Amino acid sequence: MSRPAAILLVLLAGSAYLLVLGPILIVVASAFSAADFFGFPPSGLSLRWFTSFFATPELRAAFALSLELALVAASTATVCGGLAAYVLARRQGWLASLAQGLFLAPLVFPTIVLGLALLLFYRAIGGVPLFLGLLIAHTVIGSPFAVRAVLASLQALDPRLEEAGRSLGAGPWRSFRLVTLPLIWPGLLSGWTFAFIVSFGELNTALFLTGPGTTTLPIEIFSYLQFQGGQLVIAAASALQVGLILVVVLVVERLVGLTRILRA
Amino acid sequence: MVPRVVARKYAAFALLLPPLAFFLVFFVCPLGYLFFVSLHAPSESELYGARLTLANYGAILGDGFYLAIIRRTLLLAAAILALALVLGYATAYLIALLPQRLRLWLLLLLFFPLMVSNVIRAYGWIAILGRRGLVNALLGWLGLSAAPLPLLYGFSAVTLGLMTILLPYMIVSIVNALAAIDRQYEEAARSLGAGPWRTFFRVTLPLSSPGVASGMLLVFLLTLSAYVTVTLLGGPRTKILVSLVYDATTSFEWPRAAALAFVLLVLALAVSAPVFLLRRPDRAELPR
Repeated sequence: MSRPAAILLVLLAGSAYLLVLGPILIVVASAFSAADFFGFPPSGLSLRWFTSFFATPELRAAFALSLELALVAASTATVCGGLAAYVLARRQGWLASLAQGLFLAPLVFPTIVLGLALLLFYRAIGGVPLFLGLLIAHTVIGSPFAVRAVLASLQALDPRLEEAGRSLGAGPWRSFRLVTLPLIWPGLLSGWTFAFIVSFGELNTALFLTGPGTTTLPIEIFSYLQFQGGQLVIAAASALQVGLILVVVLVVERLVGLTRILRA
Repeated sequence: MVPRVVARKYAAFALLLPPLAFFLVFFVCPLGYLFFVSLHAPSESELYGARLTLANYGAILGDGFYLAIIRRTLLLAAAILALALVLGYATAYLIALLPQRLRLWLLLLLFFPLMVSNVIRAYGWIAILGRRGLVNALLGWLGLSAAPLPLLYGFSAVTLGLMTILLPYMIVSIVNALAAIDRQYEEAARSLGAGPWRTFFRVTLPLSSPGVASGMLLVFLLTLSAYVTVTLLGGPRTKILVSLVYDATTSFEWPRAAALAFVLLVLALAVSAPVFLLRRPDRAELPR
């Protein structure tokens, strides 16, 4: 590559990273500000916004709800997507690929349409409790991540291992538990992690499905920003969310490795 | 006794049944119901009126206001795609040249922002472009401007913010395609006398086109539903199609909202179907 071309490439890539990471870094940095507003030059460090975050009941409740919802939804999505992937992994033909397309569809489907559709559907069937309504939406959205991760694990798995288990006298359930499960659990874990993270930050269906007293943290942040301006307590809320995701990613990196996170 | 093969087949369907039923009831049915609602006249007290009608679609497609918004939606998507393509391809090209370990870390650095909620990333742009934001604070501190510049709330703020939010998808798709190219093709082109630009445009770019196509498709689809980002960075006056869907639900015009949602869905399908049909990811052909 010629020298000017190389310099241009590095400049473009550098600005891409700056544009992608800069806004997040600024939000996290401003959460530690001592002043009432984010200013330049920065005016000292403090944790006062985190204190006021936990002292604000509706923010604390939204954080707790988001965490609870993400934990449950990631688990239901992993069961749902894992079962589908387990059955579909070694099947061919148009029915199997149609089913696979259905389970992967929420990945590219405009989620705002799904949110509205579920809202109307819940009303038509006589109402659904808010938490359950959100859980269903997040399970639909999270399942494809589990499907993809488990499919990848199963395709890398040598079917002869299961056959060996069966021929040595293990029943289907025993050979699944002793042979297949230990081999695909990293896939299950990375699918779970993605479903968790997606649910924890999800906006488009939650926009329609949250209600008074049952609001997720991203929606609470959104309504603060929309109606009360960018108070720094919202920066603290955002920093907490970023921190939690960072912890989850690092734990998964330790458990199953970097390449698997990237492949899922 | 049931033959074992048959028993295994039934067992497989028994395992598939719960997820399949879940998806049919809570994904397929609600969409069908949404379409059903969109075909009805509005009603004061119910979700929809008794009369079957195509009037909701007619009102959208025959109204200059709605058509202008649809045009603006497509314009926004085009602007975001063009910027993301240039920045994304350059970044991906550089990443693909790097050694494996470094490449993984740089990709992880792009994956991390995708995990952070879009509302937080839009908030970051408010903190940068807002009246009390970083740029205005910096300009004021340097004494370059007396009054804060109105950088936020407009088409360009939405384009910049949403482009950076979606850029990692583009980069990752292209890196995957570039990393899969056998470098020998490029070496062969060079040794046959093609210059670096010719090699790039005749060999590398066509071979990476499946990655470019899937990156662009993903960015387009996510632009269509980016209600929160558009609202926060665009303000109340920069509306796109998805804003109208939400506005119609907040004013309880359910059939209108449903019809708008289906127009959005048709837009998504119209763009993605040809890409899905034309793309043959496993057989990117060499140009003659």
